[in-house]
Amino acid sequence: MAKKNFLTSEELKLSNNFKKDGFIIRDVASSKSLNWIQSKFVSLIKKELKLSSNISNIDILNFTHKKISISNLNNFRLKIYNLINKEPDYRYHYFQVAKPFIEAIAGNELAMQKKVNLSIQLPKDDSSLLAVHSDVWAGDSPFEIVVWLPLVNCFKTKTMYILPPKKNKIFNKKVSKKKYSDNEKVYRLIKHDVKWIKINYGQVLIFDQSLPHGNIVNKEKETRWSLNCRFKNTFTPYGDKKIGEFFEPITLRAISEIGLRYKLPKMK
Amino acid sequence: MKKIKGYIFSRPFLDERAPQHVQNIVIRDYCKKENLHYGLSAVEYAMKNSYKTLHQLVNNLKSLDGIVAYSVFQLPSDDLERKNILKKIIKQKKTLFFALEELRLSTNDDLKKIDNIWLVRKILPNCLKEIN
Repeated sequence: MAKKNFLTSEELKLSNNFKKDGFIIRDVASSKSLNWIQSKFVSLIKKELKLSSNISNIDILNFTHKKISISNLNNFRLKIYNLINKEPDYRYHYFQVAKPFIEAIAGNELAMQKKVNLSIQLPKDDSSLLAVHSDVWAGDSPFEIVVWLPLVNCFKTKTMYILPPKKNKIFNKKVSKKKYSDNEKVYRLIKHDVKWIKINYGQVLIFDQSLPHGNIVNKEKETRWSLNCRFKNTFTPYGDKKIGEFFEPITLRAISEIGLRYKLPKMK
Repeated sequence: MKKIKGYIFSRPFLDERAPQHVQNIVIRDYCKKENLHYGLSAVEYAMKNSYKTLHQLVNNLKSLDGIVAYSVFQLPSDDLERKNILKKIIKQKKTLFFALEELRLSTNDDLKKIDNIWLVRKILPNCLKEIN
């Protein structure tokens, strides 16, 4: 008789997909939280760019490039990033959009990044590119996952790519044999093997940030707005991003809280 | 603008070390961002487990709105001593800021959050720690 698996069939499916592809895409777990996030962004953008209220949310996001120049983009992005991260419930809603998927992959005693990152990719902008990289190469712990949430539909060059685990094994062998002087050469090496992520607003992507990933110049006619935030099991090893300064525990369970505070009685 | 005093370390803490001028740069930058009026830093004694300077600061907060420390991990490692200091600050309705972690304490909820971070950090050496 086959042994029962301790994970549910849905958790098992998620885990297997994640291990095989290096990522999963699912419909968000809470549309209410996703709407909360998108509405907050749109109201901040409207205020900042002094836009009229009769433009739809999706148009405001997709056509941001019509209202902001590439040279002003980073200041604008930082302003919105700082304002949205001051919203007390922002991280709560961010967690809700992916909670069951995060828990299936990383467990339920989680540490969450303290500030959610914001990426805005205007068409033809080469100033906001993230060349091929693995976060672990830059000091992140391989125990972290990235929850990537698009505020618009992302496709073709308006999205990101990732190198699947099988291809990554081949890539690791190649780079250990020959020296590649810059990221462009590394990208050329994996260009035909990477998977371009097609994802719509209403869905969430969770990926293994230890795999090489990145983006290229957005050649579509729309602006990309996406958010990303790291999660990990609280009690797994930390890399350069530490507990307290970068991560904080968000879902400690009762017995962990008790255990952390437990003192053996002083017996005579 | 809130008037606060800096607090930095002259010894390593939890295997971390930051030069004093670097601690001050981080504090100054944080104060600028948070619109805090920063009045120099007091330096903790180098002797192991000494928190005399911190106690002195906490006991003389009348003319200040609070303290900004470089890191939350400069608080006493002893759970009771740490909690007593934090409670004193809350009782006086003052704020303790931590520049590196961008954390702040002024309520009992903040105390719980900071205590959890401390307790997890303390137990980490007993958890899986090698990446490879």
